[in-house]
Amino acid sequence: MKDKERGIRYVAPSLIVLTLVTVYPVLYVFYLSLHRKLLIFNISKFIALDNYLFLIRDERFWNALRNTAYFTGLSVALELLLGLGIAVLLNRSFRLKGASRAIVLIPWAIPTVVSARMWEMMFNTDFGVINYLLGVKINWLGSPFWAIHAAIFVDVWKTTPFVVILLTAGLQVIPRELYSAARIDGAGSWQMFRSVTLPLLLPVILVVLLFRTLDAFRVFDAVYVLTGGGPANSTETVSIYAYKVLFQTLQFGYGSALSLVVFFCTGSIGIFYIRLMTGRRT
Amino acid sequence: MMKRAGFYALLAVVMLYCAGPLAWQLITSIKLSGEIAVLPPLVSTNPTAAHYLSVFHDYSFARYILNSLIVAGSTTILSLLLGSICSFGLAKLRVPFASLVLAFILSVSMFPPIATVSPLYIIIRTLGLRDTLAALVMTHTVFSLPLTVWVLTNFFRTVPDDIYHAARIDGCRPFQVYWKIMLPLSLPAVFTTAILVFIFSWNEFLFALTFTSASARTVPVAIALFPGIHEMPWGEIAAASVIVTLPIILLVLLFQRKIVEGLTSGAVKG
Amino acid sequence: MRYLALLAVFVLIVVPNCSSEKSDSATRVRIVFKHGKISGDPEEFRLLLRHFERRNPGIAVRDETLPASTDEQHQFYVTNLEGGRADFDVFSMDVIWVPEFSRAGWLMDLSDMLPQEERLDFFPGPIRAVTFDNRIYAIPWYIDAGLLFYRKDILAKYGFKPPEKWDNLVSVSRALMSRDPGLYGFIWQGKQYEGLVCNALEFIWSNNGDIIDGDRLVINSGENIYALRFMRDLIYRYRVSPSLVTTATEEPCRHIFGKGKAVFMRNWPYAWNLFNAEDSPVKGKVGVTVLPSFKKGRSSSTLGGWQLGIYRHTKHPGEARKLIKFLISPESQKALSLAAGYNPVRKSLYRDRDLITKQPFLPGLFRVFMKARPRPVTPYYMMISQVLQPEFSAAITGIRSPAAALTSAQKQIGHILEAGHER
Repeated sequence: MKDKERGIRYVAPSLIVLTLVTVYPVLYVFYLSLHRKLLIFNISKFIALDNYLFLIRDERFWNALRNTAYFTGLSVALELLLGLGIAVLLNRSFRLKGASRAIVLIPWAIPTVVSARMWEMMFNTDFGVINYLLGVKINWLGSPFWAIHAAIFVDVWKTTPFVVILLTAGLQVIPRELYSAARIDGAGSWQMFRSVTLPLLLPVILVVLLFRTLDAFRVFDAVYVLTGGGPANSTETVSIYAYKVLFQTLQFGYGSALSLVVFFCTGSIGIFYIRLMTGRRT
Repeated sequence: MMKRAGFYALLAVVMLYCAGPLAWQLITSIKLSGEIAVLPPLVSTNPTAAHYLSVFHDYSFARYILNSLIVAGSTTILSLLLGSICSFGLAKLRVPFASLVLAFILSVSMFPPIATVSPLYIIIRTLGLRDTLAALVMTHTVFSLPLTVWVLTNFFRTVPDDIYHAARIDGCRPFQVYWKIMLPLSLPAVFTTAILVFIFSWNEFLFALTFTSASARTVPVAIALFPGIHEMPWGEIAAASVIVTLPIILLVLLFQRKIVEGLTSGAVKG
Repeated sequence: MRYLALLAVFVLIVVPNCSSEKSDSATRVRIVFKHGKISGDPEEFRLLLRHFERRNPGIAVRDETLPASTDEQHQFYVTNLEGGRADFDVFSMDVIWVPEFSRAGWLMDLSDMLPQEERLDFFPGPIRAVTFDNRIYAIPWYIDAGLLFYRKDILAKYGFKPPEKWDNLVSVSRALMSRDPGLYGFIWQGKQYEGLVCNALEFIWSNNGDIIDGDRLVINSGENIYALRFMRDLIYRYRVSPSLVTTATEEPCRHIFGKGKAVFMRNWPYAWNLFNAEDSPVKGKVGVTVLPSFKKGRSSSTLGGWQLGIYRHTKHPGEARKLIKFLISPESQKALSLAAGYNPVRKSLYRDRDLITKQPFLPGLFRVFMKARPRPVTPYYMMISQVLQPEFSAAITGIRSPAAALTSAQKQIGHILEAGHER
């Protein structure tokens, strides 16, 4: 039996600030996106859906959307694979397990901006340690092909620990008996992984995918600091494009339209995953 | 035996992969400027503290660190305060549409910051809060609320209802139960959340970049916008990176278990 | 509600406004001067400001350095000035911002500070760049223009002269690279940023191309396509420019050239002092000349440099004017040039003995600065540049053909200007 009293009064403050700082702005963004608004020159004019009509024909937007999708797909897939590998590795018992786990957390704890700067230096063509160790002279951040992959690599490095943590927790709740039973049935380690670990881990994997896909899709700081969207916009994501339009030239109308696209895309992704999860449960 | 060796070799690779870049940053930060642009040698022959001194002397990093500490500290306190009250309500009191409310709060964590940054900018400007720490504390608090509420609600639910009812019968008002019983009981969970919120706020970039320009600048923005006319002061950047990262790394090494608990709370159970 | 009161208290206690600092002495007026990083020893510039304070005992100057790149500085200024509460009085502006800032109403009209006879001592390009609607909104501070640096010693050794045409530069580079495979031919700034626009315009102008001709957009002209294709060919066809130029800004180029690893480089004049420093491996081996041109075109340099303006709503307009007057005086211009290698905006200083001794190529620069061309002078320049940067970058990295990139740029910029003409 719950206390009938006052529940709502405890929840209200949080709800109010959340609404003020997130829901209200999103409505406001929509309002802005219906205007030609050049903050600098005090131009503000209602133009209905003109910004969206321009957006549909804007090659740079489609390019940014393609980059974002590619970035998201590849980095989430790699993070999951790598995270799964490391989680399985760390799930065995060995000495220094605690210390190893703490070390794995390091990339997660480093500020994204710092990690982007760090890798920028290491990717340097001329004096970067990566080219030195590999004995090559690749222009990592300068060629469109390498730059997007370098950005993906930095994101994978930064966020794999998060995946490892969640998956490790998932691994720990799998009953040991299932493994012994499988072993008695003569299953090899790969078979055990496929028939025991993977199916039982699936709910956690879905949660990981949800978090990571949403995060990757709205990626901003890592890429903004690493490449600024270049070369030739080959690493420009929708968030970066929107930010540049918004704050380099203060075109708040079109910039708002662009940022709403990010909102709707992440919203759809979220709903898609949540449906997938609830669908599985019932 | 071979298998064991293989395992440790693999483990070593993973550790190097995770910690190597930071170690490299450390090595770079004590090289002379002239040595940074030349490889080999990998490690400096005569290490220098010059970049560290310069970061504080020429780039007023002490100020940025103080700003970051104030923002992250206030955010942590406010977020925990607001969030724990809300979680208490959700977990122990009757709230109409409680699960819907929780779902709404969680869905806010999926809001892309970029979709709110332009109106927030206009609001903050209108309130005259541009380039103040208050603007950052406000946004960081709100964007960390979902995490706080989620972790704490889950934890409060594990505290038996009997404790709550016993206290009520003893004449405590609900708020007293929250303040005198629930919070002290939940200190471990509160602490875990505090670390996560602190790290989130310490690292946040988009809002800090947009809402501040000089006096309220935080460390990540300062590192992203290191001044130099045409050149990159790589030694200073490396030193600054080490300085801002070390406290966080220390937190992680000390409270690894707590952080893992916090991050996994809900994700696995829920 | 108790917790809201608690919250309010917290905001008051925990979030003090750190920005309010008491000025050091109550009697002096403090003005804040924002500028980009001054190259060379920062102390020298501070000395100059202290000198100003001694001469004007009632004024204290606080100078504050802004983030590195011009794009980042631009963002700083627009977000601060737009809010209408900027906390600085005097600030330095890239040559391309003045029309935009004037139109936005952020700058004080300074026409009276440059009477006609004084105006004649300034180079024409910067004067054009600071004039908007026939009024002057900023005072030129120092001037820059693109130059061709070359290795005197290597050219002399193999009997080559500095090239005057681009194809000549290609053939000389190839000849020298075949003799020394470790050497790069020609390096320039090709990263996606404002510097790329400067570089590309120099190629375009030296082929008789342009961006805006009067009121007409002429971005996808045959001349421009040819020039852009040539930039790309430098990397992928003639192979005289390493592919790293597509990420290079000024300093990486200066480092490579300064280590003796390239024959030719496009850069700004600041590099000269650094090449001739005591510990420089190329000391005494570097020559400077005007940039080459295509067969039918003329050598062209992009005008760079910084201007000083006053925030329209400053509380101390008189003091701010005094500071600018001091900074553009011949003595200060000379001092800054000696200390930081910045080139004076006053033509008369190019005959100054001390300056010529320190920078022997100064008289040569005079010619370049007289002819340096400003980028399109329009309030919409930043929006135009935001389109040009990625399109130029796409063309030189080979993501898009030069024709496709320029056509796309033409379309986007057309849209921006069209929107700008209506109110």
